[in-house]
Amino acid sequence: MNKTVNINLAGIFFHIDEDAYLKLQRYLESIKRSFTDSQGRSEIISDIEARIAELFSERVKHDKQVIGIKEVDEVIAIMGQPEDYLVDDDIFEDEPQSTSYKKSAPSKKLFRDTDNSYISGVSSGLGHYLGVDAVWMRLLWIVLTIASGGTFIVIYILFWILVPAAVTTAEKIMMTGEPVNISNIEKKIKDGFENVADNVSEAAKNVSKSVSGAAKKGSSSIKSSSKNFFDTIADIIMFFFKVIAKFIGILFIIIGASALIALIIAFISFNIVDIVHFPWMDFVDISNSGNTPPWLVSLFVFFGVGIPFFFLFYVGLKILINNLKSIGNIAKFTLLGLWLFSVIALVVIGIREASEHAINERSVQKNTLQIRANDTLRIKMAENDVYSSNLHRNDGFKIANNENGVKTIYRSDITILVKSTTDSIATISIEKSADGRNYEKAITRAKNINYNYIFNNNELVLDSYLSTATENKMSDQEVLVTLYLPINSVVYFDKSTEDFLSYYDDNLVSSKYANHYVKLTEDGVTCDDCTAEDFEIDIDTPNIQINEDGIQIQSDENNIKIDVNGVKAESEKVKVNINSDGVSVKSEE
Amino acid sequence: MKIENTKAQMRKGVLEYCILSVLKDEDAYVAEILDTLKDAKLLVVEGTIYPLLTRLKNAGLLNYRWEESLSGPPRKYYGLTETGKLFLKELNTTWSELQNAVNLVTSQKTPK
Repeated sequence: MNKTVNINLAGIFFHIDEDAYLKLQRYLESIKRSFTDSQGRSEIISDIEARIAELFSERVKHDKQVIGIKEVDEVIAIMGQPEDYLVDDDIFEDEPQSTSYKKSAPSKKLFRDTDNSYISGVSSGLGHYLGVDAVWMRLLWIVLTIASGGTFIVIYILFWILVPAAVTTAEKIMMTGEPVNISNIEKKIKDGFENVADNVSEAAKNVSKSVSGAAKKGSSSIKSSSKNFFDTIADIIMFFFKVIAKFIGILFIIIGASALIALIIAFISFNIVDIVHFPWMDFVDISNSGNTPPWLVSLFVFFGVGIPFFFLFYVGLKILINNLKSIGNIAKFTLLGLWLFSVIALVVIGIREASEHAINERSVQKNTLQIRANDTLRIKMAENDVYSSNLHRNDGFKIANNENGVKTIYRSDITILVKSTTDSIATISIEKSADGRNYEKAITRAKNINYNYIFNNNELVLDSYLSTATENKMSDQEVLVTLYLPINSVVYFDKSTEDFLSYYDDNLVSSKYANHYVKLTEDGVTCDDCTAEDFEIDIDTPNIQINEDGIQIQSDENNIKIDVNGVKAESEKVKVNINSDGVSVKSEE
Repeated sequence: MKIENTKAQMRKGVLEYCILSVLKDEDAYVAEILDTLKDAKLLVVEGTIYPLLTRLKNAGLLNYRWEESLSGPPRKYYGLTETGKLFLKELNTTWSELQNAVNLVTSQKTPK
């Protein structure tokens, strides 16, 4: 049993077996590609079709008869193989005049060689293009894939998608860089006529174009065999432009490809560690106070950054390979849309994230410190095993397990502020603050800050860190410890408090008083055991030097120096010198 | 140098002359031309003739008219144009000269 097809050949209707039909179609199309438009292809083909129709009608005895493979074979035997049609001048071009063809340098094009492929023919295609054996290209791919941790597969797939396969004879010839002409086509057809049958109309178009192009080139180069001097110069300039363009193309490909690889590695590792769980993931999670899923953010970043690089890669490839397959408008606009969406989404997430810090709220608690008038209050920071002081006091934070083994955020943003009070009792105020999207959230977070102190035996031990549960996220939690100390009381700040004492002016006890006994007075503080030495200013910058030798201030042209020798002041026009010799003033005018 | 190419080159030159000669007296359609040429063993396969006919027609040596056929598709009847007739005359002279020349040369070359 056989499926039949109805065909209209030169206006005559035929039933034909499907396999016979395919054979006939292949035959006609391979003939079609032997001719060019200038030779009157369509007319020749319609004549041939008419003749075949005639031959078929001779063989069909009645209306119901179906044309089979046998009839088609007979007709082909009468008509001749496609190479029998090649009676035109071009058949002889591989002989004497072939020199004129060498001048029109065959332009190699990159195709995937699907005939010699392991996977998709990318390697053998590149091999043809670069004039290297495909084995080396395959080795290179394997090496690059292993070296890049597998991500080079993506580049391979991009090549696979973007580089067209050599389907037609013309493309197969172009791939190897041979000029496309009838004799080469004939050769190819002889080599593997049966394999090349699809997409033939396209091929025929290609062939006819290149053949007519080659023919034109051939004849014109004969006419003006001596090239114009300026043409040569133009050729040289064009050559350099081409080289530069190719170079830029290669650069684009390298940049695009490496950025894509880096992004893919980053994306994969970022999302895989979510399962594997690396310690630094906590930081990402805690900082992310907006509660956007990290994988979503990473996806947006991936698209937002990756798509421009993909286009860079694509453009580079396009510059380098002129027959690159277009990724199609749908793909282009999808990518553009995806990119816009990712960028907008990132902006929205950013705003959300920022709004998490929009409101800063405080929770204050005040307590009195029972100290007697003559007692000295000693203040020190608590040492902590869990939270060692290796994280210097700054805006950073640390995640560690607390004594109960629960993950906790630790921060050392503690500020100590000392104020004097006329009251007879000392007061301590602990002010906790945190950011949040709204008032409630901020205040809740502020209240969720754990901060403690111990007051015992005239000794105040302050925690050197604050802690809060991880679900409160990192929202700029801070603690301000304000000490209201009665006038005339004496306070000793331990060395450990040095880093925590406020820098602000309203703080009576600045960090320079640490490790000293300080007495609060109406005007401020006095330090009994502070020696003058402690207040030595030691500045050493390129322009100003204040040290034990004296003072020196320098600018480009002016110079003041005060030291044991005297005073020396020099400017562009005036020189003043006071030393053991006396006073001298020199002016240029 | 391929023998096929040389043969084809020889035959091609002659073929054009022969096609024109077939149409010398009366118009004919492709199958008739083919029959004449095939009988003379000038053509092995039919395919060769189509590009030649189109070339001759494009060169203005031939023209054609359509005629309905009872048994198949409409037939293209080819005929010589005025230029074609002049061309043929020219070729006739050339051919007889060539024939003489070839005969002369080939008969000389044959061993005595």
